[in-house]
Amino acid sequence: MANRRQFLAGLLATGLTPKTTWADAGGPTYLSAAAKPDGSFVLCGIDAACNILFELPLPTRGHAAAAHPSRPEAVAFARRPGTFAMIIDCVTGESSALLDAPAGRHFYGHGAFSADGTWLFTTENDYEAGEGRIGVWDATRGYARVDEFSSGGIGPHDIKRLSGSDMLVVANGGIDTHPDSGRTKLNIPTMVPNLAYVADGKVLETAELPPEWHKNSIRHLAVARDGQVAFGMQWQGDKLEPALVGVHQTGAELRLLSAPADALREMQAYVGSIAFTDDDRQVVVTSPRGGIVQTYDVDAEALIGETRLTDVCGVALADGGVLTSTGTGALVHLNGTRAETRSIAQLQWDNHLVRLDA
Amino acid sequence: MKHIILSVALSFTSFPVMAQTQDIVDGHILPRFAALAETGAALSDAATADCAATSAPLRDAYNTAFDAWIAVSHLRFGPAEVDDRAFAMAFWPDSRGSTPKALGALIRAADPIAESAEAYADVSVAARGFYAMEFLLYDEPISTAGDDAYRCQLTQTVADDIAQVTAAIYADWEADYTANLTGPSDLYRTETEALQEMFKALSTGLQFTSESRLGRPLGTFDAPKPRRAEAWRSGRSARNVELSLVSLRDLAERLSEGDATLLAAFDVALTRLETLDDPIFAGVAEPQNRFKVEVIQQAVNDIRDIAAQDLGPKLGVAAGFNSLDGD
Repeated sequence: MANRRQFLAGLLATGLTPKTTWADAGGPTYLSAAAKPDGSFVLCGIDAACNILFELPLPTRGHAAAAHPSRPEAVAFARRPGTFAMIIDCVTGESSALLDAPAGRHFYGHGAFSADGTWLFTTENDYEAGEGRIGVWDATRGYARVDEFSSGGIGPHDIKRLSGSDMLVVANGGIDTHPDSGRTKLNIPTMVPNLAYVADGKVLETAELPPEWHKNSIRHLAVARDGQVAFGMQWQGDKLEPALVGVHQTGAELRLLSAPADALREMQAYVGSIAFTDDDRQVVVTSPRGGIVQTYDVDAEALIGETRLTDVCGVALADGGVLTSTGTGALVHLNGTRAETRSIAQLQWDNHLVRLDA
Repeated sequence: MKHIILSVALSFTSFPVMAQTQDIVDGHILPRFAALAETGAALSDAATADCAATSAPLRDAYNTAFDAWIAVSHLRFGPAEVDDRAFAMAFWPDSRGSTPKALGALIRAADPIAESAEAYADVSVAARGFYAMEFLLYDEPISTAGDDAYRCQLTQTVADDIAQVTAAIYADWEADYTANLTGPSDLYRTETEALQEMFKALSTGLQFTSESRLGRPLGTFDAPKPRRAEAWRSGRSARNVELSLVSLRDLAERLSEGDATLLAAFDVALTRLETLDDPIFAGVAEPQNRFKVEVIQQAVNDIRDIAAQDLGPKLGVAAGFNSLDGD
């Protein structure tokens, strides 16, 4: 079914529509949502030198974005519990489609494309059932809703595609919420977060934390080229969290990356974003609450450095390190403990910095 | 001589902050948890004396204890979080109707787990605490379901469980948590960390009152949900908003050392609530009355903004675009 659809879609794409590419949009390296000084919201394209290439209006506050692998199209997601996502043509700046969450669903603010760009997958809440769903949208047919399947847990947040494959990894945060009571957490005593690997609409593997750490909500993901997945957590228990960062490879156990208690405390129980460095050997996490960036070594399974940065949240791979974004408008390149501010905009960068080729 | 003057000066500079934590513990936290334990025990006594759902003394004791719970419902750290005690006392919002389902199943099966509070501690949190008790006393059909004798025992056990859990929370505060908080301790290394914990209690308490206590019945303009109001069966919805705001105001006053702007914002919300003649927010479906509830919610959100933008930074809590977002 999917193959036939892909085939027809492929014909359609090659035969009938003039093709634009990301180069036509100025060749952005990153996407990020932001707030402007006048209180309006935009999605921005940013190049490798940290210049802002475009600024496209969004109707409400964004969260994360997803970039189509070939077409210059971005999906901007409203912040949780939003019920819409906007497809933006990054060449014309026009909205080319609007994704409305089906009745009884809301988005969590993250999504990922299939390797060939045919399908968009979105994390969603089936809030009457209290179950996580992955929505499937056909990018070749104006982002028509075509299917959905279980996310393998409750409260799916981030979703990423494993490098070089069509396997998706989902961070099921474990927290049950219902839009009728905002972001009130309904099931902290019984929450069980997990990492779920899904392909072809089926959950193939889930990995959970040890039971005593079940209140560590797995929220954000980064993927390495070797298939390793790094995850950032948000501790929902009372005081003294065990760790906030971990790595995992399918078929293996979750590995937590440790930090001294005082350093962990600086994170204020909260990881906002996560990224691998260039060589995939280090994981960088941000905490806007702590105003701090921490770098962990994957092999040593331990914290190796930290940098203070006010209201930092977004982080993504960059040449020679990572690029971070802040709610004060800064884009800051980090290499080890060396921080270099590359640009400061009259914008408040929102939550996630999304790298296009990642 | 110089040395002595210096050490005196140092002790004076650090003293006021410790005094602030001590003041919050002695003036805000301990008396409220003491009242909760006391009224929780009285509720259990009343249920033992007369377990009938319609019993006036039992309903009085229940409402008095529930009042005491609402006044501590924002203090979700330390003893209230041990073994998820606060969740066991207050399973709400119950978006999927778990409480009536769980109670209905117990009653239908006449499940012997209700024979003692000790055993009952293992049932689903949805069947425990003040919100479950509300169904047993005020809900039709739960208050008349099944066998009278079983329901009587269930009511007594839920009350006894409330008495035991609220006693345990207070005992832990007295035993060591007060010392932890007024530390320094492993949990709170500095007074600032202790005050930040209180600030978090203040802001999450305000958020809960805005999003759940007021937001749930409001729903949307097109789909108002009066039956999602908190404790509407016992007629307590607006009362709970008031009690929570009064208690949060007391905490805010101590935490901000009497910040006039912040306290005035509380007073706006409380005054608006006072003029609302709609104890269970039943009017949210009518535009005129809905507006009155919306402006109360707006007033609570104004308090939240002032707390986040003014008070938070004074206590070292970042008020950034991302740090306040939380996702």
